[in-house]
Amino acid sequence: MTIPTISQLPTTLAYANNAYLPILLLLLSAILFAVGNVTISKFLGPSRKGKVKDATYESGVNPIGSARKRFNVRFYLIAMVFLVFDIEIIFLFPWAVTFRNLDMTTVDGGVWLGRIFFFIFTTIVAYVYGYRKGVFKFD
Amino acid sequence: MTEKLATLWPEIILFTCACVVMLLGLSERLGVRRLCAPVSAAGLLIAGLFAFYKTPVDPAAMLPNLPVFGKVLAAGIGLLILGLLTGIPDRDYEARVAQGRTRFDPKRTIRSEFYAFFLFSITGLMLCAGATNLIWLFLALELTSLPTYVMVALSTQRDKSLEAAVKYFFLGAMAAAVFLFGFVLLYGATGSVELAQIGATLRHQASVEGGINPIALAGLVLGILGLCFKIAAVPMHFYTPDVYQGAASPVAGMLAFVPKAAGFFALMLLLTAPGWGWMQPGGPGGGHGSLPTPIGEILAIIAVASMTLGNVLAIMQTSVKRLLAYSSIAHSGYMLVALLAGPGRPGTLLPENGYSAILFYLLSYGLTSTAAFAVLALLERKGPDGQVHEADDFADIRGLRKKHPALAWVLALSALGLMGFPPLLGFFAKLPLFASGLAGGHLVLVVILGLNSAVAAFYYLRIVSAALLESPDASGHAEGMVQTPFRGRALAGYVGVLAMVAMVVLPLLSAGSFLHVTPASWASFGGTYKDAAPLAIAPRLPSPAKPMGAAPTGEGPMSEDAPARP
Repeated sequence: MTIPTISQLPTTLAYANNAYLPILLLLLSAILFAVGNVTISKFLGPSRKGKVKDATYESGVNPIGSARKRFNVRFYLIAMVFLVFDIEIIFLFPWAVTFRNLDMTTVDGGVWLGRIFFFIFTTIVAYVYGYRKGVFKFD
Repeated sequence: MTEKLATLWPEIILFTCACVVMLLGLSERLGVRRLCAPVSAAGLLIAGLFAFYKTPVDPAAMLPNLPVFGKVLAAGIGLLILGLLTGIPDRDYEARVAQGRTRFDPKRTIRSEFYAFFLFSITGLMLCAGATNLIWLFLALELTSLPTYVMVALSTQRDKSLEAAVKYFFLGAMAAAVFLFGFVLLYGATGSVELAQIGATLRHQASVEGGINPIALAGLVLGILGLCFKIAAVPMHFYTPDVYQGAASPVAGMLAFVPKAAGFFALMLLLTAPGWGWMQPGGPGGGHGSLPTPIGEILAIIAVASMTLGNVLAIMQTSVKRLLAYSSIAHSGYMLVALLAGPGRPGTLLPENGYSAILFYLLSYGLTSTAAFAVLALLERKGPDGQVHEADDFADIRGLRKKHPALAWVLALSALGLMGFPPLLGFFAKLPLFASGLAGGHLVLVVILGLNSAVAAFYYLRIVSAALLESPDASGHAEGMVQTPFRGRALAGYVGVLAMVAMVVLPLLSAGSFLHVTPASWASFGGTYKDAAPLAIAPRLPSPAKPMGAAPTGEGPMSEDAPARP
């Protein structure tokens, strides 16, 4: 096993040419693809302008008023509460998958069980907090 | 894994306590809501005791005793700051509820969040002290800082604190991005997030190459710059005066200690990884140990700039809170001198050990600055518009002795303590900064530190003279000052000053040398450095020198993790 020396570290362009060239190519082709497609369709595609054509939904209902409306702050609250429980599930899932492999008679198994209980406890706290704050009241 | 968990009891206790407090503050009954502060205090006390008696020493850590001292310090000063914070949340709202003008609605209160966020922040500080790897360190730093942004915003009803909070948040997010990028580069250069492993790899690379790897260097520099935000040192200091002034005095008092301590713990851990292995006998520290050249120079520049700028700008202030903010910048500069000096050889104790000097200084600074902010938090006056103004200007504290003699003395003593006036704790805390700087061979820095301390005397003595010697001026602000009815704040001020005095008097009574008795000896113990145990080097960089397409030889570092392709 060798330790990379300073001269070998990826600081020089010569090295970048070797190892990072595929990434550079990928980046370039991505840019080219995006810009190229828009440009080509601009030149090749049919283009008709007009009041109806420029509307947001050409064949839809005519828009009424501005899109810049105030939202009820409750939507943000719901989004945040959703995040709490979403993250909860994300962390519970791998634990549930490996649950069978944990030997509950050992210290490690007990610690893992305790940990997940502590985690669920924090979520319950979040739930009670949200409940008291009236997040779930839809009047 | 389980061993690491055993070191975390103080944090778990504090976190659970924060969860409980979060729910208590939402109760219908006033008596239960009022429990928030006492329960927080109990949590801090228990966590502190646990940290003191039950923190196992991590044998792999290079600063094995930092977690113990750091956690006890966080809990101790945290208790004082908690006293300082009492009375901020829901003051007007609870008054209206008590008068029956409104029904209590959990939606409209901030009490539970305020105390819970404070406890989260202290939890982050404790985690910071016990960090052993970069990801842990980053998360701990963010846990320390994120609640403080919200606390600044919640601290008063004025627009000014919202402005301060937004300023603080955006600059804080930028600083976090900077040091996170630094951590990423460090990982890229060494292939590990474990601090001990990073140190071992860097030392190994240095022994092969005779210098520090440039990517790791860039990572360290970015890490230091980002952490300068937390400690309020020069290139990242711009937010300090505005945020301190915009926030309520108690929250400003918290900002002066908690992020600063977290930043210094992080800096100590971060610099220990590459730093003190460079202990060539013929090196600049004369075998005392020194940092790799560019990092040492950058830190020296930051230290000098912070000291000088903080002190010079503090002289020009008319607001005591802004003055204390600039003085907080200067104090970070002082501590950076000791950071440069480093922990010395393994086993070095207080006068020569720079890390111990920082820890002791943090203790002294925490006590004195909390006491100073407590006096500001205890004074308020009704303006002509009916608004309540807290003490801020020099006009507010001029002639304080006439109406509030005890507070005037607390303010004067804490100003003298911050200045480092000889018989006070600040002096004994500043002494090791000088001694460790000299031991580390940083004579110029020590001279600048001395000059700056002399400059600082000017504005600290201005506070002392305004509070004790002068008469109230024509503005009538000082006469209008009344004491806020919060016993916690008064307690924080008096206990801070009493502890400051007791820590000097008791050692003198016990006739021991000051540096060999508690709590200086605890700080001394906290900063001790242990030589890193030899670790296996396992870099995960792709084998660099080979041209693309060359057949892997099986010799490359990757061969350990992935089988070589045919």
